[in-house]
Amino acid sequence: MGKIIAVHSYKGGTGKTSLSVNLAATYARKGKKVCLMDLDFRAPSLHAIFKQQGLDYWLNDYLNGICEIDKVLVDATNDHGNDGKLVVALANPSTEAIRDMTAKDRKWEMKALGRLLSLRSSLLGDGNFDYIIFDTSPGLQYSSINAIVTADVVLVVTSLDASDINGSQRMTGELYDLFEKKTGILVNKVIADYLSSEKEQKKFDKYIKSIHKLPVLATIPCFCEVLRAAGDFIFTEEKPDHPFTETIENLAAKVEKF
Amino acid sequence: MAAYRRLEGRSTQLLEKIRENLELLNEKIDVMIEIQKHGQREIPEDLPEALDVMTLLSLPDHLRKTAVTLCKLEKATADEVSDQTKRARAVESGYLNQLVVMGYLKKERHGRKAYFFVDKEA
Repeated sequence: MGKIIAVHSYKGGTGKTSLSVNLAATYARKGKKVCLMDLDFRAPSLHAIFKQQGLDYWLNDYLNGICEIDKVLVDATNDHGNDGKLVVALANPSTEAIRDMTAKDRKWEMKALGRLLSLRSSLLGDGNFDYIIFDTSPGLQYSSINAIVTADVVLVVTSLDASDINGSQRMTGELYDLFEKKTGILVNKVIADYLSSEKEQKKFDKYIKSIHKLPVLATIPCFCEVLRAAGDFIFTEEKPDHPFTETIENLAAKVEKF
Repeated sequence: MAAYRRLEGRSTQLLEKIRENLELLNEKIDVMIEIQKHGQREIPEDLPEALDVMTLLSLPDHLRKTAVTLCKLEKATADEVSDQTKRARAVESGYLNQLVVMGYLKKERHGRKAYFFVDKEA
């Protein structure tokens, strides 16, 4: 059976969405059947990348029990020219939907957890998907904790910001460990000076290992080209020879064996 | 001969009833042992009603593992939960019954088997 991966972080703006999208596209390019889901209901963003018009159903509707998951899935395989299959489940970006999702009570959240857990049988089981990737909201939000409980693997995206490192360390002890999740760290937007030579890189790796108890699965440099893409296109698809693409491919291989 | 068969049938029914009652008694003892082992102080006093993720976070480690496993299985026996957690059936039976006592799970019997589940409509 396939794997459910939750991409999470303590703070916003760490690059979760960019890494989720590129990881999903990388697996699809390698012939895998992938479903990418936008679980950031407070600040949906996948709709801006996959640009679908006139959708009848959103992921919100599935969690609300209005429809089944097959009504929500949008096949993005043709648009992205992959060898495998890439489908997306988008969160409704309308203000009304965001307001509705932030006003849910505990009982609704409990049912939503049940709906997320049942994706294992409907998509990984019956649908033969190799990967479901959850792009979550940052911090300790209901939707992100539901995603973490459902996932097999949690990828924690962190920057080198002191408050982000501190928050990620606390979440390790107070969240990921409590649910006994396989968790790996992705250090994103690392400035080039830290990786300028092999010696510097070793020094940096040692420093990162000393601050995180968890395995570091990737150290991703801050590439101006990736920032310039500004989420307009899927970087690893457009620039297959770029070092960022190589980093994501290495990450995909590590997560596969994790 | 017919009278003997009737008598034999009744004895079998009686033995089956005794076995069912012994099983129920066993489960109750499991609960008592578990409650005694972990002590009431580990269980938060102001229990929220729904078994949502915040509740899961507030549960003691041993109960959280059982509760998360049951959430994944939706409806299961102590045997099925113990297959997943790799802990003894009697231990899981104790934890599941403790979660029933706390009001997070429901329990229903189908013949000889006791099924535990999260009551989402409660």
